[in-house]
Amino acid sequence: MSVLYAALGALFGFVLSRSGAADYGFIQSMFLFTSFQLYGIIATAVVLTSVGLLVLKKRGRTAAGTPLSIEVKPLNRGNALGGLLFGVGWSMAGMCPGPIFVNIGEGKLYAIAALAGAVSGAALLGVLYPKLQGPLHLPKM
Amino acid sequence: MTLLLHGLTPMHWAVAGAAIAAITLALLFVTNRRLGISSGFEDICSLALPLPYFRRRSLLSNRTWRLPFVIGLLIGGFVSAVSSGVWRPTLALGFFDERIGFGPAAKLAWMFVGGLFIGFGTRLGNGCTSGHGIFGMSNLERSSFVTTLAFMAGGIATTNLIYRVIF
Repeated sequence: MSVLYAALGALFGFVLSRSGAADYGFIQSMFLFTSFQLYGIIATAVVLTSVGLLVLKKRGRTAAGTPLSIEVKPLNRGNALGGLLFGVGWSMAGMCPGPIFVNIGEGKLYAIAALAGAVSGAALLGVLYPKLQGPLHLPKM
Repeated sequence: MTLLLHGLTPMHWAVAGAAIAAITLALLFVTNRRLGISSGFEDICSLALPLPYFRRRSLLSNRTWRLPFVIGLLIGGFVSAVSSGVWRPTLALGFFDERIGFGPAAKLAWMFVGGLFIGFGTRLGNGCTSGHGIFGMSNLERSSFVTTLAFMAGGIATTNLIYRVIF
């Protein structure tokens, strides 16, 4: 199974690499509204995925016949705050999480620093989670 | 506009969007997994940190697929680079170099700080561009619309501050 996940990841990574989604300049152009490229990608992906999800949910089963399980993400105060902070980082690094890994594969060395930062940031959240849980109404661990 | 990678012309947005949808749906249909990448940072943490937060069953049960998927992303980037030219480690950053012009050490520090925001923010918001932006919005989840709006706002504000005000 691991090979299948790695293969899907590799396909995904290739598309991110060749489409501009893992490119510093295209990310900045998206946020500056000087290029349509990434908006077009996200819109196309969301529209087609939502149609596919309707079909798959109607069928209700995976290819192997097991019941489809989709865990819906809960809404809480962490969404807006975390999203805002992530947006700052996405702009600074010119990478969202997937492209950090893709850029390392491409040989962009600064992405290694971004990965080190991202893992440290996640570790920091893990440390602070018990303290943030109450005020931000985050789910139980 | 061309890519930093070998000055390539990017694939058409409609093709890229359709490919991303196909991969997202294949992941769900074949393996019953919901696309999401930023939890991979927690997976990496869970390999080294014994904190209760990184011992959640929901995290550990997904590590078995998400770590290989993330390694796949690395491979995808590598294949993309070698199939379009010579694979060469680089610190070149186009736009950033022209306008901000930091040397290597400052650039790496900048990227580390950016990464801190990405890691902390995505995990606080419970997802990133893939889990919220692509999957969650496609599934019409309220938390995904809120989070996506927030990270787009954060990115637009920051980039405009950097490139239209400061540099």
